[in-house]
Amino acid sequence: MKTPLKKPVLLLALLALLALTIGLSLLIGPAPTSGRDLWNFLVQGDKTYATIFLDLRLCRVILAFLVGACLSLSGAILQGYFQNPLADPFVVGVSSGASFGAVLCLALGFQTVVLGVPVQSLFAFATGFALVIAVYLLSQRKTVFKVETLLLTGISAGALASSFTSFLLFLRSDSFEQAVFWLLGSVQLADWRQVITIAPQFLACLFLAQWLAKDMNLLVFGDEAARSLGSPVERVRKAYLAAATLLAAVSVSVAGIIGFVGLVVPHGVRLLIGPDHRYLFALSSLAGGVFLVACDLLARTLLSPTELPIGIITAALGAPIFIYLLHKRT
Amino acid sequence: MPALCLWLALLCAGPWMAAGKQEAVLYDDLGHSFSLAGPPRRIVSLAPDITEILFALNLGPRIVGVTRYCDYPPEVGRIEKVGGLVDPSLEKIQVLHPDLVIAFRGNSIGIVNRLRSLGSPVFVLNSGTSLAGVLEVIKRIGRLTFQPESAGRLCRELEDRRRGLELALGNVGNTPRIFLSVPGQGFWTCGAQGYLNDLIIQARGVNIAGGIRRRWLNLTREQLVRENPEVIIVMAKNLEAFRSMRDRLLSDARLKAVGAIRTRNIRFLDEDSASRFGPRLFQALEDVARILHPERFPGGL
Repeated sequence: MKTPLKKPVLLLALLALLALTIGLSLLIGPAPTSGRDLWNFLVQGDKTYATIFLDLRLCRVILAFLVGACLSLSGAILQGYFQNPLADPFVVGVSSGASFGAVLCLALGFQTVVLGVPVQSLFAFATGFALVIAVYLLSQRKTVFKVETLLLTGISAGALASSFTSFLLFLRSDSFEQAVFWLLGSVQLADWRQVITIAPQFLACLFLAQWLAKDMNLLVFGDEAARSLGSPVERVRKAYLAAATLLAAVSVSVAGIIGFVGLVVPHGVRLLIGPDHRYLFALSSLAGGVFLVACDLLARTLLSPTELPIGIITAALGAPIFIYLLHKRT
Repeated sequence: MPALCLWLALLCAGPWMAAGKQEAVLYDDLGHSFSLAGPPRRIVSLAPDITEILFALNLGPRIVGVTRYCDYPPEVGRIEKVGGLVDPSLEKIQVLHPDLVIAFRGNSIGIVNRLRSLGSPVFVLNSGTSLAGVLEVIKRIGRLTFQPESAGRLCRELEDRRRGLELALGNVGNTPRIFLSVPGQGFWTCGAQGYLNDLIIQARGVNIAGGIRRRWLNLTREQLVRENPEVIIVMAKNLEAFRSMRDRLLSDARLKAVGAIRTRNIRFLDEDSASRFGPRLFQALEDVARILHPERFPGGL
């Protein structure tokens, strides 16, 4: 293993990348715009350009950033939680539960909007969260709670929910196209309300994760050792699982299932800076946000005006970077 | 009592409630109210069906945006494309400054809601389950675009064509059983709730899937063999696509027992005219009638 990268270096690099991707995302789109248009809008406040630059592009960039940050933070938490680099936000079944809810909504033809939030998002959030709670309770029925039981129950319950989803899609093939778009993830429909919904939840979870980061570092030595060092292991585990689930459920409910971000980004950041969770959580969030903003930029420009589902890009872009990191740094 | 009469009159007027003389208020198929102050000058159409109807009403010059699937009539080629049915670009629509966006069943509801929240005037239409539904949609678009007269004229024309066909068919004795092959993997066709079922009935045929309460469905080989259609009509983009489907049917040993395949009675129907809920559906009706009852059209229609 090489010496870990200096944290400030990574931080600065990520911030520079963030500025670059945001700049490009604001300037590039299906409607041709130039730097001068942006300048004119800033100076004169043209109404059409206000819609394009703020309501469509900026809003979308911020949402992509938040969704990427949520997924990445969720993955970082769960990788620590399970002591397993293969863990990702969807490992305990959030995504399968949430997509079942969303597809159920499509199949039943519910299309209403409640308090500005599409009922489909609410369904997705609720079923995703409910599935994880069920998994948690099921794996706790034995007198001792074991992490492996949670993991395996989560995987089985996720498979069950996925089979229901496939069944619904099979029955209602006419809603298939819309469902696919949702299952592969997209931030195309970003609006400010989604940003306002997701931002405080992300910040709260990040705060919690940072606050408990020292305890997470202790969990690396095993639950027994952590307990003997004075860490309230059960409570810490509960808090982390709740936070990771909330982060995954909220991002799935606004943007569908965007794979790979939550697996690869925290892992990559760990390869770069080492396993100290006090830095890992914050830097993973930032890196995940930057990564998803870049992926979304590609998703909407590669075949413009047609938009690719963002999940295709996250895997296509993330996998090579990740393999490179693995070979370079281990 | 007068109040009741008024109420009934309004009910009969259906969605066409007019509030005031100048400003008409219409309701779209999602139940949103829509008021038009004047004739729309910049229309974005989010479905080929809508585009064809707009052109049929001579509104082509007022269309500023269409989908990439809109390819009829040929003049549509010079109009800006805003994307597909489920993924039109919000940005592109925004810079076109439309004063009317007409969406259709099949457009993503998320996109429609987002457009509305960005302030675009969106009107959503459902496709109907019958040929009469086409006339209904044409009339509503006519109303929406302040062209009720030309919409009425177009509807009368289409209705006359349909009546002429009805006369030509008279009381034909035989109603052949047909399998209408819709493009897709497997053996897709239309069920009782699809408008193509109505088209088959009006062309005096019997849809072998007409008893199934679905819009579209995928038949199995077993169903095909049991229902044993006398005619297979293949909807295809062009003759090449038609031939490949025909050869697939003819070379399928498991379908040898099917009447239409034994007698090689497999016919071509232009997919575009039959799959779009617009005026060309009446052309498709005549085509199907001519396939099923050629003896009634000795000198063509």
